[in-house]
Amino acid sequence: MYQFLCREVDMRALIAAATGLALAFALVLTLTALGTPTGKTSPKPLLTTVPAHP
Amino acid sequence: MRRKTSLVLLALAVFFAALSPLLRWYAFPRLAKIPANQYQDMVLEAKDATLIDYGSMTAKKVSKVTIVQTLKGNVEASEKIEKTAGKDVVVWDGLSYVVGPDGKMVSKIPERYIFDAHTQDPVHATGEMVDGDPVKRAGIEFKWPFLTEKRDYVYFDAQARTSAPIHYEGTRNFRGLDVYYFEQTIPWTKVPFPKTMPVQGITPQSIARTGTTRWYTTIRKFWVEPLTGAPVYGEELHKEELRGGTLLGGRDKVTVFAGDVKMREDYIRNTVDLVKSNRTLVLLMTSYLPWGFLILGVLLLASSLWLEARGRRPAPATVDEPEPVSA
Repeated sequence: MYQFLCREVDMRALIAAATGLALAFALVLTLTALGTPTGKTSPKPLLTTVPAHP
Repeated sequence: MRRKTSLVLLALAVFFAALSPLLRWYAFPRLAKIPANQYQDMVLEAKDATLIDYGSMTAKKVSKVTIVQTLKGNVEASEKIEKTAGKDVVVWDGLSYVVGPDGKMVSKIPERYIFDAHTQDPVHATGEMVDGDPVKRAGIEFKWPFLTEKRDYVYFDAQARTSAPIHYEGTRNFRGLDVYYFEQTIPWTKVPFPKTMPVQGITPQSIARTGTTRWYTTIRKFWVEPLTGAPVYGEELHKEELRGGTLLGGRDKVTVFAGDVKMREDYIRNTVDLVKSNRTLVLLMTSYLPWGFLILGVLLLASSLWLEARGRRPAPATVDEPEPVSA
């Protein structure tokens, strides 16, 4: 009976660890797949005058 | 209940422990990139410089020569190149506009720089150019890669249209930031004339017919913040000469420009502030979060094991007290 309980707990621990690992992978893969937005080309021109400040 | 809690803690421990290396070595290299739509300008000045007077073809001392450098990310061009390159690409359309002390244009050099948004490696595609001349860059230009290393890099020289090593010369402190100092010396090199000349009627072709050639040398210095790869300060000891031909009236050479080009003070402050904030973001991804998650994972694992051990401890045996015996 004790051995059976131990095996059951080990299996549950394994499932818990696998869930944690899967969630970590899922989160990182989702983040990298989403990436960052590229935006649009700035409407500001290439400067031909000296700007007063940055 | 205790067992359930320990299992939840175990799942969280594995989650955070796994997140730590994944964030540092998988997510960071893929998320850290130069935005395709970046726009930035920079003003550099050479005080007490020497500048040619094209009217008399003599070199004169001037109070100041200003260089306005603009880099503009071209999103449409980068998306077009990405389709064939199969990676994130940045296309920078740049302009170096040189202004004399009278506010008039001395020279203007446009260029298109195409590179990998993550690694800074050059990407070769149609349109890559300097002053209208197609080029094939090797190495870096303007910016170093994220997590810059203490080693020499290959740096592209737009004047000579070639690449040469830029040497790591040690670590310095620049306005509170630990930076890597790089230096490159370009020896006297024959370079093309700018397509746009400051005097109307003079073209590179008309000068070429006189046999006069343009030569240039520079010592290029960069102070680079290593996490972001962004230069926080730059300087150039720049000299240009016209040599030979009939244009110089029998003289061997005439200085076109000579000066110590330095970033303007307000731009230095602005760049340092910007780099400091970007540096924090890089540190978050490469150090703060990975180490934080790892420590959290270990603590959660310890808590889980402790709860599990307590749950398995046998309950203390109860001792039955003998019933009092009645007389």
